[in-house]
This record gives sequence, C-alpha cells and structure tokens, in this order.
Amino acid sequence: MSDRTAPVVVIGGGIAGLLAAHELARHGVAANVYEAGPRIAGMAATHTDEDGFSYDVGAHFVTNRFMAALGMRAACRTLPRYGEVVRLGPDRHPLYPIGLLGVPRFVRSAIWEKVRRPKRDLLVAADRFRRDFGRALADEVALPLLEAWSGLPADELSSSVIDKLPTSLAKTIWLRAAQRITRRAVMIGYCKEEPSATGVFHVYPEGGIAAICGHVADGLASPVQVSSPAERIYTDGERVIGARIAGQEIETSTVISTLPINRLSQLVEGTDRLDRFRRFQFRGLVLVNLKLTGRQLLPEVIVWTPKGFPYFRVTEASLAMPWIAPEGKTMILCEFGAQPGDDVWSLSDEAIIERCLSTIGPMIAGVRERFIGASVLRQPLGYPVFALDYEPDRASLATEGTGIAGLHSVGRNGEFDHILMEDTFWRLRRRIPGIAQEHLKATHDHHVMSRPR
Amino acid sequence: MRASEPITLEHVPCCICGAVDGAPVGVGEDFEYHTSAQSFLAVRCPSCDLIYLDPRPSLASLPVIYPDDYHAFMFDEEQFGIVHKVRSRLEARRLLRAGRGLPADAHVLDVGCGDGFHLDLLRKHGPSGWFLHGVDTDERAAAAAGRRGLDVEVGSVEQSRIAPGSIDLALCIQTIEHVADPVTVLRSIGNLLKPGGRLYLITDNTGSPDFRLTKGRHWGGYHFPRHWNLFNKASLRKLAEASGMEVITLSTTTSPVNWTYSVRNMLVDWNAPSWLVNRFSLKAAPALAVFTAFDTMFTLIGRGALLRAILGRPR
Ligand SMILES: Cc1cc2nc3c(=O)[nH]c(=O)nc-3n(C[C@H](O)[C@H](O)[C@H](O)COP(=O)(O)OP(=O)(O)OC[C@H]3O[C@@H](n4cnc5c(N)ncnc54)[C@H](O)[C@@H]3O)c2cc1C
Ligand SMILES: [Zn+2]
Repeated sequence: MSDRTAPVVVIGGGIAGLLAAHELARHGVAANVYEAGPRIAGMAATHTDEDGFSYDVGAHFVTNRFMAALGMRAACRTLPRYGEVVRLGPDRHPLYPIGLLGVPRFVRSAIWEKVRRPKRDLLVAADRFRRDFGRALADEVALPLLEAWSGLPADELSSSVIDKLPTSLAKTIWLRAAQRITRRAVMIGYCKEEPSATGVFHVYPEGGIAAICGHVADGLASPVQVSSPAERIYTDGERVIGARIAGQEIETSTVISTLPINRLSQLVEGTDRLDRFRRFQFRGLVLVNLKLTGRQLLPEVIVWTPKGFPYFRVTEASLAMPWIAPEGKTMILCEFGAQPGDDVWSLSDEAIIERCLSTIGPMIAGVRERFIGASVLRQPLGYPVFALDYEPDRASLATEGTGIAGLHSVGRNGEFDHILMEDTFWRLRRRIPGIAQEHLKATHDHHVMSRPR
Repeated sequence: MRASEPITLEHVPCCICGAVDGAPVGVGEDFEYHTSAQSFLAVRCPSCDLIYLDPRPSLASLPVIYPDDYHAFMFDEEQFGIVHKVRSRLEARRLLRAGRGLPADAHVLDVGCGDGFHLDLLRKHGPSGWFLHGVDTDERAAAAAGRRGLDVEVGSVEQSRIAPGSIDLALCIQTIEHVADPVTVLRSIGNLLKPGGRLYLITDNTGSPDFRLTKGRHWGGYHFPRHWNLFNKASLRKLAEASGMEVITLSTTTSPVNWTYSVRNMLVDWNAPSWLVNRFSLKAAPALAVFTAFDTMFTLIGRGALLRAILGRPR
C-alpha cells in the first residue's frame, strides 16, 4: 500500500514538528512538515510591536544546553538572572522554593505531615501535595495555583501532575549559589528530561523564541508546507496507511502528529482506539502584557499569586532579558487561567486590561500613570489538565502511545504533558530512532504486519 | 582569526556505531583559546559509551578552532622551562617502554605528531638505527617539526605515502580525540603496520574521576571544541574492534593536564582574576606537580587521567 519512498508525514510546524523532521533527517528518513496556518512556530511564536517591545506566547526561557544541541548558542544572549517568588502578602515574597523554608508554619506542617502520613502512593493531587509539602503550604500556595492553571478542584486532579525530575534541597541551594557566583540564570528544575547543573543556564535567542523554529526549519531538506492542514489520517485499523492534507490524499506508513491529542483522535479514521483521548481537556490562558514605564517593578522575574489576584502569575521578563523592552520601559505579563467561552475568556481586551490595572496596584504602585498600552493573547492550549477522570488513559498514552502502528503523537500537546521545548527535543531524540527504523522497514515491505509496541 | 570569524557546525553520529541518539553530558565553550562564541554539547552514545561533540565544527572551520598560537604547534623548552624538562624525561621513558623489543632498524610512525615533540625524544633517547616518520594534517605543525629536522608529511594518515605493512611501531598520542573519523584512522594505521606491529595510543580517559567531577562543563579533556571523540576503556575496546585492531593491553596513565585545565576552565568561566587563573596552566609547575601526585593515586586503581592502549594488527 505504501510507496517505497513515501516520506514521513509530520503534522504541525511548531517546534515539535520541526524537531521531529530534523531528527528524522539524521536517520536518512525524509519527512514533510505540514502546517495549517500561514507560518511556522505555533506556540513558540514571537511578536514584536511598533513600540519596540517583543514578547512570546507567555514568557519563554530556554537553556544553553538546548541551544548548543541545535548549534545556535552563538545567536543567544545569556540571562543574568532568573528567579521565582511567591506572593504571600504585601512585602512578603519568599523565593520559590527555598525561601518557603523560612516560613515557620509551612515547615511545621510539612514535618507533621511527613511524620503522620505513611509514605505511599497518593493518586489524588490534593492528597499528594498535602503529604509532600505539608497542609499549610499545599492549601495556601500549591493547590490554589494548581487549580488556577487546571480549572478543576485539586481533588479531581491526578497526582502525576507533579512527576518531575526532583531537584534536592541541597542541590537547589548549590545551584542558587552558582547563580550568584556566575551571574547567570542557572536553571533550577526547569526541564523534566535532563537534570539541572551549574553549567546549564537560561539564554535567549536574538530575534526571540521564534528564531529557534526558523533555525531548525532552515536546516530541513524540504521546506515546511504552510497553509496545509491535516484533515484525515487513514488507518487499516492497526496501522497508518495515509493522510489527507489540504484536500490531497497522501500515502504514508508513518505520521508524526504534534496536534493536541484530543484533536488528533478526531482526525483518525478506521479505528476507535484513539477515542478515549477525546475527552482530554486543555486549560486555556489569557495572557495580558502591560507595557509600562519604569523597570524592576516586581521583586523577581516571576511572582506567583496564589490568592488575592485574578491571575495566578505575573512576570517581568525584562528583569532577565533587559533587551525585550525599550530602555526605561518594561512589560508585565499577567496570566489568567480560562476556558474558551468562559467569562474570563470572553471579556473584551479593554475589560481584561482594566481588570489587570485595577488589581495590580498592591504590587505595582502608580500603574495607571505608568501605563503605555497592552496586548492580549488568548491561548486555548495553555496547560494539559491532569484530571483523575481520564488518568489511566493519560498514563497509557505516555507508556504505550496511540495504539496504532505508525501513528506517533509528540510534543507538549501531543503527549499531553506539561513539558518544555527542550523536553520535547530530548524525548524525540530517544523516540525517533525507533520511529525511523519502523518507517524504513514498513516502506521496504509492502505487506507489513502490525507490530504492537 | 579570533572570535570574530564564525564557525560552521555539523551534526554527526557516533563514530563507532552510527547511532544519533546521544544524550547530553556537558556543555561548554572554548575556555582556552576563545575561538568562537559558540557553546558545544558533549553527548554520550547510549550503546558505546563514547563521548562526542554533536554538533561539532565542520572541517572548513579547522583553521579557526586551531589558532596560530595553539600549544601543539609550540611546546618549546624556552617557554615551558622546568615543565618541559620533566615532561620530556617522563615521556621519553614511556615511549622507550612502548618500543621495547623492536629491532634496531625499526620504523616508527607518529600519527598526529604536532611539532615533533615525541619523535624528537626518540631521536635523542632511542636507538640510533630507528627510522622516524611523522604525519600531521596541520601545515603549521608539520613546519614546526620540519624545523627540528624531522621527516614529517603533511596530510592525513589515510592518504600517507608510507608503504603499507612497513611500520613496526605507530604512535597515536593525544591525536585520536582530534580526528573526525577515528575508525578510519585506526584502520589506516593498521594497514601501515607490519604483521605483528603495534600501535601505542594515548587519549583522555572519560573513566577518570576528573571527568566525573567536571563533565558538566569544565573538564579539561573536552578541550572544546577540538576534542571530537572521547573514550573510556569500554568505548576504546569497541573502537579497536570496529577498526579491526586487537587490544593487547589497555590501562591508564598519569597526567596532571586535565585536572589543571578543569580548574582553570572553571576559573576562566567564572571570571576569576588572572593571577589566580595563571596558577593553573601548562606553565604552572606547582599545580602540575600537585595534580601529578594526585592523579598517580588514581592511576594505581586503574583510573588515571589518560588511557593507554597497545593495539596490534592481527596476524
Ligand atoms: C504560557 C506558556 C509558557 C511556556 N514557557 C515555556 C518556556 O519557558 N520554555 C519552553 O521551552 N517551553 C515553554 N512553553 C511550552 C512551549 O511553548 C511548547 O512546548 C511548544 O511551543 C509546543 O510546540 P509544539 O510544536 O508541540 O506545538 P505547537 O506550537 O502548538 O505547534 C503545533 C502546530 O500545529 C499546527 N496545526 C494545528 N492543527 C493543524 C492541522 N490540522 N494540520 C497541520 N497543522 C496544524 C498549529 O498551527 C501549530 O503551528 C510554554 C507554554 C506556555 C503555554
Ligand atoms: Zn555508538
């Protein structure tokens, strides 16, 4: 059925699709990347406006390690600092996570919880957070934040939402010290797939985060096909046999999709194996960038706001990347959890900007006098929601994939995991050899039997 | 030819098995010569344990990453004083040990001979009947060796005009880590060896404690971006096997250089004052002495800073 030389079909011209094609090429496997929209980059887009501000879809940070792996470190600037604090009250901004140890009631309840509760698997996020962090810290900080970017109460969420590479306390302190010594934004527990180290720090490409996609796309043998939406993926019930892209039927034995997994399951024909992924939910974000006069308006690059504010996080990226705003000006990003169609999502730009201006006063004095303008982005795919409801299906996607031979769902939305671009890269690097091998085998053999993996 | 000139990079597979799924181990810059603004990623091949740069500079960038003041072109007594004396004495002893049992009219070839330091030692301390040959791909190195009156060919050992099957002892001292394709180089050396001839190979050891401690960024043995393939005992065995060579002995030997440069690179990277940085260099006798003593202990337990292999051409 499949043509001997049929290239792999890669759906989506965001970072995941581009990296998948990049890695496939290293195995000598041809791939075509199809992007529905008029341009590449997807969620890794960068906007520049006429006032001289530039911003990504949310503040994006990458590491020197990731950039070196792509050979574009020389085109990046080193971030002098990076930090996150939690706002517990006026003038109370302990550093996340170590500063929280300076709050006696958090420490007391964390110890109490450790002693009282046996160490066993807790499947519900609320229980796990309370056990791991103590009731006080969980209830006052961690759970409200989790609920804000999930849109569900924490006892309806799965504990697997925190399965990250843990960075020990001692290591965190050491990395903070390295940040001081080296005057670089040493990465602390940002990436899931590869560990933190003193030599791994945040950098930022000239031209914004979108430049990464441009660089990878430039290295591909065949250009990304834009305005080419994938409409159907055909299977024989066991394996992929082709796809329809922008009205054109294409034969292939391998499809790598970077679409949200719930969307992918709607495109697949000839099987109902992906139906279980349809009910997966993403939490949307409304991102408001306030352009203000002044600098250093926040105590740290990121301020988490577990209570008292309608947004869960505010970011002053120019503290870490002074060049993204004109001198003497800054940009404050307010992030709202929202769902397409809900009250927050449906607010007009003016109304949501007003909501920011009228609430941020306690953090930024005189915000109205400083105000120059604002931009509003609505991102329906903010965070995958780890609902308990479908946790077994989510876990099986992570371990077994789609269940259809030749159909691979990758990237943050495709894997339905809270991962960064660098995580996507290392995961692809581990997965692509198997995909390439399977593809070569399938294209050289017209009568392939399905090989469940 | 400094930082101003951008270098080009290319992606490469594992030179032993061809896999391209290297996992990240370290990332760093050219802390020693500052020849580019790039950072380089050292990755580990999951099946071979080889550490290699990916991406790495393209061949066209070689003139940039080996600047004119590169030390292999100019390790002379005048500049290096006592260090030169001690190192000469130690290395002469090692070389002569490697050449033990060779006939009086043996042909010895140094692959990647640099400025001819080792050949010169053999000329001074070895039997007078030995024929000494060298090859080096860098014209500047070969010219320096030529000035010492040595017979050095410019080019790669693959294309050398040395007669196949004519060499009794080949030396490959801190060279294999610099070459683009170690398998081809070892194969070619194998072809030049007489049946039963031997290759004496020295390279940085990734099985050493200095690697383990500083592999994330500052390890001296990375020598970013000039060391493209780095081995431990296991991966060196694999390399030998892939090149059709037989491992006769495989051990480690002492060197203070990587220790010294690991510390130096860290100091440079962290903007330490130059008086402190300069305490750690190839000219800094006290640091070298301390680290020599230190590394000797690790050599005793088989984990010295350098790998030493004697490989044979199977009869
Ligand atoms: C607020 C926020 C902050 C973040 N911060 C960071 C950070 O600091 N560091 C970091 O590394 N990552 C960060 N991320 C994550 C990062 O943005 C994503 O992981 C990454 O951009 C996702 O890339 P992707 O290719 O998987 O998906 P996408 O970028 O969504 O790409 C998918 C592409 O597919 C296209 N498409 C859709 N439907 C079709 C179709 N039918 N046919 C063809 N094409 C189609 C879309 O147009 C899109 O271009 C952040 C994410 C968010 C939301
Ligand atoms: Zn390998």
